[in-house]
Amino acid sequence: MTNKLSKIINAWVPEQSKVIDFGCGDGSLLKELIDSKDILGYGVEINDKKIEECIAKAVPVIKQDIDKGINEFESSNFDISIMARSIQCLKEPSVALNRMLKLSKRCVVTLPNLGYWKCRLNLASGKMPVTPELPSSWHETDNIHLCTINDFETLCNEESINIKNKVFLNSKGKQSKIAAISPNLLAIEGVYLLEKE
Amino acid sequence: MKTITQKISFPEGIDLDSGNRLDAFDLMVETYGELNESKTNSVLVCHAFSGNHVAAGKNNDVTGWWDQIIGPDKAIDTNKYFVVCCNNLGGCSGSSGPTSINPLTNKVYGGSFPLVSVVDWVNSQKMLMDKLKIPHWHMVLGGSLGGMQALQWSIAYPDKIKKAGIFAAAAKSSTQNIAMNEVARESIRKDQNFHGGDYIEHGVIPKNGIKTARMLGHITYLSEKHMDSRFGRKFQDDESKVNKGVDYEVENYLQYKGKKFSEIFDANTYILMTKAMDDYDAAGNQESLEDALKTVSAQLLIIGFYSDWLYPPERGKEIQIAAINNNIRSSYVVLEGEHGHDSFLFHTNQYSQIIRKFIES
Repeated sequence: MTNKLSKIINAWVPEQSKVIDFGCGDGSLLKELIDSKDILGYGVEINDKKIEECIAKAVPVIKQDIDKGINEFESSNFDISIMARSIQCLKEPSVALNRMLKLSKRCVVTLPNLGYWKCRLNLASGKMPVTPELPSSWHETDNIHLCTINDFETLCNEESINIKNKVFLNSKGKQSKIAAISPNLLAIEGVYLLEKE
Repeated sequence: MKTITQKISFPEGIDLDSGNRLDAFDLMVETYGELNESKTNSVLVCHAFSGNHVAAGKNNDVTGWWDQIIGPDKAIDTNKYFVVCCNNLGGCSGSSGPTSINPLTNKVYGGSFPLVSVVDWVNSQKMLMDKLKIPHWHMVLGGSLGGMQALQWSIAYPDKIKKAGIFAAAAKSSTQNIAMNEVARESIRKDQNFHGGDYIEHGVIPKNGIKTARMLGHITYLSEKHMDSRFGRKFQDDESKVNKGVDYEVENYLQYKGKKFSEIFDANTYILMTKAMDDYDAAGNQESLEDALKTVSAQLLIIGFYSDWLYPPERGKEIQIAAINNNIRSSYVVLEGEHGHDSFLFHTNQYSQIIRKFIES
């Protein structure tokens, strides 16, 4: 995860809150939040090597397939749940979103934008997009549910999920005002703070 | 590896969970490595049902039950940590148990040795800790029944333990666990040499009962897949048959293991240890496991194994969820482990790395 993305997420996480990070990878985001915000954080990860890295960082981690077990944490009173760059890998993204918003009042979701102009160029030339952000070919990728920024916001609307805040990143992974002008075309990644009443 | 084996006496005795009292008792203890000056490097390992104080090292054909995990440069590195292991109260490897002499009667306890529990073991280990002048454990860990003790430590003595490792264990035994154990106990009790537990007085040992119990136990410790790949439906060759009635390799293996075990393990201890396992419920007097974990401050590492059907990973998950609900810093990992329930005994790179990283983080 780039420093810039973790900085944006960091700003949305309250001090000393209870956080769960689905698809936490090596635990670096949680480690940063533990150090800077004194949070109580739990990571959920399926990859054994990454789980080892979380444990080496003293980041609590749970081995779990996100597709199966989000609802197991419903009784745990989380303040905020995070899913960074993972929602497009899930079998049922909308079910996952709703479950996350059931176990915590707020959730942070980040996702790659398939509407980004370079992806469109790829498609226009008759090929599935392969970009630095989406590096795998169609038959090797874990991204089974890619969408555009507009698609995602439509889903939020349909599911009555409020977008409390959103930030768009440019190709350098930086928060960009230019990307925000027409995110569906110019943003490489969307970062959302969601809430459900 | 500096190893010290000693029998430590507790003339002050102990009040047991059952309401009974032992006026005095001994614990057989083995330690590895050295206590550092600041006394911050102690690790207690708790043995499972048939284990004892010999956790590490190799000596005259005896290999420590967790030698793959404990030792110089191993997952629990004895160059860094002072590792303590004791034979549990009620055991048959030197600690006070059914084969010891009752000081009140000057006779062997036999069937009259009082029922002991996981809570009693942890309390006696706390007395041992005080005697060894250890102010706190850096970590307490174990597998199976040993994992239950580690969990109990975190509940009973939160200010004495920094980390706990609970492997291939559960907060309480399942109905099926109890059922299996009862069949094992029944085979011992129905051995004509059992004499209500007072077989030593009669100069006999209920070896057939222990053997059958152990054979059943072995089946539950292994995974179906492991058994299949190890033995398949292969026939035992005639020369290495333990007896004429044996056809298959798996039969021969169980017969051999059962017989060997019946020669070294005490029948009353078998009953006692399985009873302690059945009776343990981490919830104790509380409404739920979640309530019982309210006092826990240790970081937990819960490990389950996919091939373990005796204490399957979901049992560890229950502890993990209750821990998260109590804001305990707890991790839950499931590993492949090809040896079924016994997987917790064996080194794999992944298993050892996770233990090492947790203990050292």
